[in-house]
Amino acid sequence: MTAAFFLLFSWFIVTAKTKRRFVAVALVGTFAATLISPPRVEAQGSLVAAIDAVLNVINGIIQTALNSINGVRSAISAFYQSVVWPEQLINQAKSQVSQMISQYRSQMSGIFATNLSSATLPTPQALESVMRDHQTSDFGTLATDYTNNYQAVPGATSASSDDRNLTDMDDALAMDNLKTLKATDQAVDLTLSVADQIEDGASSAAPGSAPFLTATAVAASIQSQALTQKMIAAELRQEAAGLAHANALRKRQATFTGQLGTEIQNLLKHN
Amino acid sequence: MKNLWNRTKRSIRLALGWAWGHKTRVAALVLVLALIVPRPVESQFFDPCCAILAAGLSTISSTLSSVIGGGLDSILSIEQTISNFEQTVVWPQNLISQAQALVGTLQSTYTQIQGVINTPVNSATLPATQQLEKNLLSADSGQIGQTGADYVGVYGSVPADNAAPAAVRNQVDMTDAAAQAAMKRAIEIDQLADLEIDAANQINQSVQTAAPGSAPIIEAQADAWLVRANAYTQAATADLMRVRAVALANNGEDIKSGSSNTAALGQQLMNLLKRQ
Repeated sequence: MTAAFFLLFSWFIVTAKTKRRFVAVALVGTFAATLISPPRVEAQGSLVAAIDAVLNVINGIIQTALNSINGVRSAISAFYQSVVWPEQLINQAKSQVSQMISQYRSQMSGIFATNLSSATLPTPQALESVMRDHQTSDFGTLATDYTNNYQAVPGATSASSDDRNLTDMDDALAMDNLKTLKATDQAVDLTLSVADQIEDGASSAAPGSAPFLTATAVAASIQSQALTQKMIAAELRQEAAGLAHANALRKRQATFTGQLGTEIQNLLKHN
Repeated sequence: MKNLWNRTKRSIRLALGWAWGHKTRVAALVLVLALIVPRPVESQFFDPCCAILAAGLSTISSTLSSVIGGGLDSILSIEQTISNFEQTVVWPQNLISQAQALVGTLQSTYTQIQGVINTPVNSATLPATQQLEKNLLSADSGQIGQTGADYVGVYGSVPADNAAPAAVRNQVDMTDAAAQAAMKRAIEIDQLADLEIDAANQINQSVQTAAPGSAPIIEAQADAWLVRANAYTQAATADLMRVRAVALANNGEDIKSGSSNTAALGQQLMNLLKRQ
């Protein structure tokens, strides 16, 4: 391209017939050559300035930003270790759990295991023993010992149907409750063992594992509350049965009173 | 060949002669040629520009290493400290697994408790009492509609209006109502307690597969269930108190009736004696 231009330019210069044409060709050619000539080399001073600018950015904005990030992360680390999860206090809490276990657990177990048996005669002693044995596999023995102590429901020929129903219902609800209490006694033992296990777990827990223990402890509390409700339900049945029993006698008394009044009036009329 | 050489020499002589006669035109050609001729490439070794560039890049590199590299190293060190602290003190994997295993162990105890309290306790021996007892222990609120009839089967109904004074009938009816309501509440509470035990088991099972970050959510739900359970316990306690209040009221009513009946009996005896 450059060679073709130069040849063409030379041709016009050599063949220019007038001075005026030569001047015109020379001017146009020089102008064109200026346009197509290679670019000038940049000055060395601008390269140094560019390098300085890059260094300024590194030493200025970037270094400041990194220092700030470093400062914030250091502060977070210190905050975690000294305020949120201070290892010393975590260990102190675990030690406290262990210390309280050794201080209270066996003492409370001992108190709770105190023998409460108070009956003095063989039959009540047998009933009392089976009532308090925390077992659910000997309900048959309980029924036998209960009958031995409180007698069986009278036979059909020995008492009225109403009396038999009343005594059978009283006996049934009393025995239901005694059986329920044997079951809940056993459940209480299991609940206490759950509490012990959760407390043991707490003595070696970390802040991150404690929520599992807390959650399962709340689940255990729900179970325990349900047990309490079942006991209250049994107590409700028992109280209601006591009330119903007294009311049945009241009904009968009202009937007898009415009948007695009629009898007396008839007697007086005869006299 | 010699002819060609002579011709070339003659051409050069002619060109030089032309150039000598047209110095201005030759100057113009030389100027344009100087302008358009390609420039030589700079040497990497002797050009001062390259040396400056190399020194600059070297400075940038060392600055990057010291400022950015050093800063990032410090941040990395702190991040490693935090990570190590969190993994060994806050959320140690072995203790998390240990807690999850404990929850699994406790689940079997909960199942055992559930089995114990579901042991049948029925004890009645006569048909009417068995019917009422079955209803009372059903733990099924759908059976509450039958409670009244089963109750009457054992404890009788309110005396007819010609069989007892109004005051006695009112007392008897109120007492039956309180007793039946308590029995119905007991059925409800048994069923609610069974549902709570199911829910507690479900919650405990989800705790076993939870993460430290999700366990508090499950715990919050369990807390809500506990609040609800407390409310049901209070409702049951309220009915228990009602039954006892009615029993107390009956005691008072019996004394009141006794005194008025005694006065009425005395009056009737007086009337009888006067007639004789």
